Amino acid sequence: MTDLAVEPRPVAGHHRGDGLRMVARGVGQLLITVGVLILLFVVYELWGTGFYTAAQQHKLETTIQQQWTGGSAPDVSTLPVDNVRLGTGVAVLFIPRLGPHYHFVVVEGTGFSDLQRGPGHYPGTALPGQVGNFAVAGHRTTYLHPFKDIAQLRRGDYIVLETKEHWFTYRIEDIPGTNIPWREIVAPTAVQVAYPVPDQPDPAKAPTLKLLTFTSCHPEYSARERYVIHAMLISDTLKPALPAALTKPRS
Amino acid sequence: MYVWIWRRLPGGLPGKLSGCVVLFAGVLALLFYFGFPWLEKHVPFNDVTVDQRVTSTPSPSPSASPTP
Repeated sequence: MTDLAVEPRPVAGHHRGDGLRMVARGVGQLLITVGVLILLFVVYELWGTGFYTAAQQHKLETTIQQQWTGGSAPDVSTLPVDNVRLGTGVAVLFIPRLGPHYHFVVVEGTGFSDLQRGPGHYPGTALPGQVGNFAVAGHRTTYLHPFKDIAQLRRGDYIVLETKEHWFTYRIEDIPGTNIPWREIVAPTAVQVAYPVPDQPDPAKAPTLKLLTFTSCHPEYSARERYVIHAMLISDTLKPALPAALTKPRS
Repeated sequence: MYVWIWRRLPGGLPGKLSGCVVLFAGVLALLFYFGFPWLEKHVPFNDVTVDQRVTSTPSPSPSASPTP
């Protein structure tokens, strides 16, 4: 009799504990799963995205070399600014400060899909070697991070653009006769850094200088601000000669 | 959930283990090829351009890009 009276209680208690245990286990597994998913997303962003960019860069490089050697297309520096098709290679970018192997094909366009493939040229801004501002945006942490080390660039560093017939060498510096600094950190809305005459309110002001501007996100791993570099054209070397910035060891 | 999957995997211990590997690889592939590429368009980590809008929308319209 006592057995019968006692037995249901542990059963009922056991059942209640089971439910709690199941909920706790479920919540625990869910939290661990979410944590692992977030870690995997970080792995994807920082490392996985690079594979896509590397493959695309390889394609762009092959295509642009074919156009340069085989095609009858004129040098990009002679084209009107809006005459380059979105998603195609504009020029090859070299930055001696970032190592002898550093080079990227600059893609026309700054849309998400353009920047997945490499640094992107703001459509409508000047082309390499032209009067105006050759403005380029690039990823700093993902998609092979072309501008990962943008903060290592210093005043006096060279930026070289290779086109079909030219090497255009720009030097990072405070632009003479203007208030344009060699480096600035601005709000994401500061479109004036990419104007033909940067850092003044009028986008239609006629440029007289041949400038280059880089934009990337700042601080690294964030998108709160933009890191901006300005440079000015200092020499135009006709191929097959090599520009001094690429042959001399960097200072 | 994981217990439920583990119980349903066939083939004894080796079968269950290889089943786990296959399932994990499948989930990973789905995430890397579909899940994460979709997700990253909705987070602002990849914004590197100067733009009149602060949000992270793919492919800026011509009016929003810096004027030539």
